[in-house]
Amino acid sequence: MNTILNDGLKKEIKLLIMEVLNINDVKPDEVGNDDSLFGEGNTLGLDSIDALEIVMALQEKYGVRIDDKNQSRFILKSITTIAEFIEKNRTL
Amino acid sequence: MTFQHKMAAHCESGTVAALLNHAGLTISEPLVFGISAGIFFGYFESKKFPFPTFVVRNRPGQMRTGITRRIGVRFNEKRFRNPEKGERELNRLLSMGIPVACQTDFFYMNYLPGHVRVHINVHFITIVEKRGDVYIVSDCYSPTLAELERDSLMKARFAGGSFSPRGFLFYPKSIPHIIDYHTAVWKGIKSAAFNMVKLPMPFLGVRGIRLFAKKVIDWPKLSRDVDHLSHEIMKINIFLEDQGTGGAGFRFMYATFLREASELLIDPDLLEMSKRIMEIGDRWREISLFAARIGKRRDLGPERLKELSELIHARADAEELFFSDLLKLSKTKL
Repeated sequence: MNTILNDGLKKEIKLLIMEVLNINDVKPDEVGNDDSLFGEGNTLGLDSIDALEIVMALQEKYGVRIDDKNQSRFILKSITTIAEFIEKNRTL
Repeated sequence: MTFQHKMAAHCESGTVAALLNHAGLTISEPLVFGISAGIFFGYFESKKFPFPTFVVRNRPGQMRTGITRRIGVRFNEKRFRNPEKGERELNRLLSMGIPVACQTDFFYMNYLPGHVRVHINVHFITIVEKRGDVYIVSDCYSPTLAELERDSLMKARFAGGSFSPRGFLFYPKSIPHIIDYHTAVWKGIKSAAFNMVKLPMPFLGVRGIRLFAKKVIDWPKLSRDVDHLSHEIMKINIFLEDQGTGGAGFRFMYATFLREASELLIDPDLLEMSKRIMEIGDRWREISLFAARIGKRRDLGPERLKELSELIHARADAEELFFSDLLKLSKTKL
């Protein structure tokens, strides 16, 4: 995998998540690429509604579909897992 | 032969598909769902329910009976009044190396996180082995094979209440040598489309979606307070996205079924219809998100509910057109 491209993509994903979820009190650099995104105690502490917003935003921006909850549980684990999924499946 | 555990979007279609694959028939979960005419809509208000509710699939058990009827597989099926007999029969089958599907109360599946487990009597799992007092379970919602103690399984198989499992179990008896997939697919499609647009009851199919759209505006009158209303509105999202629907209330799974059927039958018409229902599913997902947002923010004034109602009405219009076209198409193919 192209690391430079991948790092750029990871940053782009962080910015997208923050824009979509209107998160202003956290800077992209504060979110580690492998940090868990969901649950209390994590930097972003996202919930299942946030997950749905992210899924729809990723579909619109990258043309990747995440249809079902079982799938999204693994893909949305961290910024790294999202980036890997996009690199494999993007159509936009 | 070792049972191949696989996650699936929905427990019933996933369990039926897994058992058939184990028995030697290669078939995907979406094909099971589509051929058995799994897609549906129903809006229910009844004194039996504490609050109006809706369903997005056919009745529990119909995915198994539908696939049986249309592709000619046969299942051995048993219910038990006596739990001891039910346990003995399960153990007997497992001792012969036969994986067995069991209907259970989801609440007792304690290998899954506590916050997702609720009392629902129509959860299907496959029991693949017994080791002492522990059963090895293939559950579509678990990433790996899981262990379930005998006591939990007994409680789950013989739980009371509506749709009580009464120890129901099933496993494949025979698989036909030749399957007429053309007829199976199109009969499944015709049945689903008929159920969506031709049933005369005002609460079923597309009429049910319209009733839902009309009634949701009045939900505040049925709620105790804003917290209760918020909870019920947020359940729209849960019913469409969280309860093993494969996303957008099974509409995405139906799109996958049509795409796979298009490849299987080399029929471009099916691919076209797949794209249309995928688009319809995307709009259902917007409803999920809209309901979740307004519920979470307690933003539940008349204007918001009217907006929600209009979005649901638009889905009724889109599905009426889609399933009417699908019904017409099925008549030209059969």
